[in-house]
Amino acid sequence: MTVVADPPRTLPPETRSRTAPERLPIRGRAIRTRWFSVRLDPRAIAVCAVLAIVIVVVGCWSISVGDFPIPMTDVVATLFGHPTADSEFIVGTLRLPRVLVAVGVGAAFGMSGAIFQALVRNPLGSPDIIGFNAGAALGAVVMIVYIGGSSTQIAMGAVAGGFVAAVLVYLLAWKHGVKAYRLVLVGIGAGFAIEALIDFLITRARITDVQRAAVWLTGSLNGRSWEHVRVVWPALLVLGPLAIVMQRSLDRLELGDDMAAALGLRVSRSKLALVCVGVALAALGVAAAGPIAFVAFVAGPIARRLVRSPGACIVPAAFVGALVVVIADLAARRIMAPTELPVGIMTAVIGAPYLLWLLTRQARTGAL
Amino acid sequence: MSTSTTSGRTSGDRLRAEAVRLAYDDRTIIDGLTLSVPDGKVTVIVGPNACGKSTLLRALARLLRPSTGHVILDGEQIHRLPTKEVARRLGLLPQTPIAPEGILVVDLVARGRTPHQKLFQQWSEADERAVRSALEATSSMELADRAVDELSGGQRQRVWIALTLAQETDLLLLDEPTTFLDIAHQIDVLDLVEQLNREQGRTVVLVLHDLNLACRYADHIVAMRDGEIVAEGAPVDVITADIVRDVFGLDCVVIDDPVSHTPLVVPIGNRHATASRGV
Repeated sequence: MTVVADPPRTLPPETRSRTAPERLPIRGRAIRTRWFSVRLDPRAIAVCAVLAIVIVVVGCWSISVGDFPIPMTDVVATLFGHPTADSEFIVGTLRLPRVLVAVGVGAAFGMSGAIFQALVRNPLGSPDIIGFNAGAALGAVVMIVYIGGSSTQIAMGAVAGGFVAAVLVYLLAWKHGVKAYRLVLVGIGAGFAIEALIDFLITRARITDVQRAAVWLTGSLNGRSWEHVRVVWPALLVLGPLAIVMQRSLDRLELGDDMAAALGLRVSRSKLALVCVGVALAALGVAAAGPIAFVAFVAGPIARRLVRSPGACIVPAAFVGALVVVIADLAARRIMAPTELPVGIMTAVIGAPYLLWLLTRQARTGAL
Repeated sequence: MSTSTTSGRTSGDRLRAEAVRLAYDDRTIIDGLTLSVPDGKVTVIVGPNACGKSTLLRALARLLRPSTGHVILDGEQIHRLPTKEVARRLGLLPQTPIAPEGILVVDLVARGRTPHQKLFQQWSEADERAVRSALEATSSMELADRAVDELSGGQRQRVWIALTLAQETDLLLLDEPTTFLDIAHQIDVLDLVEQLNREQGRTVVLVLHDLNLACRYADHIVAMRDGEIVAEGAPVDVITADIVRDVFGLDCVVIDDPVSHTPLVVPIGNRHATASRGV
């Protein structure tokens, strides 16, 4: 009988941490006081901080360029309350509100997209794909064509239209519960039907209204003023924190309805609340800038990839959405200058190829 | 309390169903079922597909409201208790929970702490302790920093059980925790369940398909057919050739399991039908 010496004790990779590590390898860092404890993800915070800086830089650049260029230094000086003779009007009245609306609208679309994509568990579930934005646009067009449409009226029309579309899509997709793929397909169909309805309304409207509606319908930030800022930002400051608070229930819902309920979540109520906030955010964006395509659709997936988080990243998606709209608007203004393109064309240039890629991939893997 | 293993009907048990009628929309699955889950025991529900096992489990966990009758938890109607309160006393692992793409094991298990958390109390030291001991109890600490997607079926099931353990409930309901697992991993999961019951005194209710494993691991077995309980009690009393024929429509011979000395069901099937008639 031969005695074999013990093999050298190199542990296979799976067992290298068999003794419990000192610290759980959990995401983020715990911050605790007596009445408060929270786990913050340093990576998410870093991503948001970097995005915020880029938004400010691109925003200032966007303010500085145009038919009448303002030097960056003057832009910054004006923003800090020391305007020069020229910059006061151009920055303060023309370009700053436009950038502020772009940021607000992008953030709203981004959050709305992140919420719905997580709820539907499919990146195709964003409000611009499944007809909610179209519904909001229809509401707004009805206001423009029949009522006249101050920005508050358009906003109310958009919110109403968005909710009607959401309810309609949900009911049409209902068959012993709502399956994600059916919701997406029904939503895409409903979106086309609603757009047909918008076309119908436009052919019957007065030519001046048609022009206004047509530009607005492609998604445009032309001529956005403080009036629009005053609609977007207060609403965003209410809806944004609500969405952030609901991130927790959204994360639980991603485990499946039964698991979420077993963890003590009131599933129907949480879903309803999330849908309401999500629709309101999408409608808000549509009301201020028209149904800018694909912002909600791309913001969530980009944010997830940057943060490397498995959950819906509502806050990072807001920053990504804002950046996308600010950049797209800058491009729309400058590419064919002095002609200004609608910003929706620029976002479509980015979003449409991604949509096609996603559709073919999901068709191949059978997810759709 | 009586020491007999068939003491499930004592009215002092924490979790009971009283004459419940369970229906989805207008389709009735279970009508007038009464069950008492014996405290501190492992109860296994068996029965053919679509007999209402999972439906019953969902009702016991407050996920489905009985249209008549009540589910009682600690002497109170479970639907009168807040969802969160129920989730602190009773954990459920559904049949097909969904792991978000790319989530790490430790993050998934941490979600089990949800009923103990509040808006301003999202990651306490107690949460961290519970997650750690749930990972240790399921021997999955070494998996903690891996993505759930890349685990084997058996590992994944342990992780899901760890999630329900992190919930720190005395009552644990597991819906078919061994489905899709090979035999070794089935035993692995059931050994874990037994350990949780014996060492930590948790009351466990399982839905299982394998009768022989059910007999081995159950203190109390509940055989269901068409939404009704056909028999319940200790495995040796419940799993007989007559009851298996009655419940599953399967002819079989029941012998003594040489290892555990619990009933062992040996199905006959067409091929051997004639040969065994003489036995």
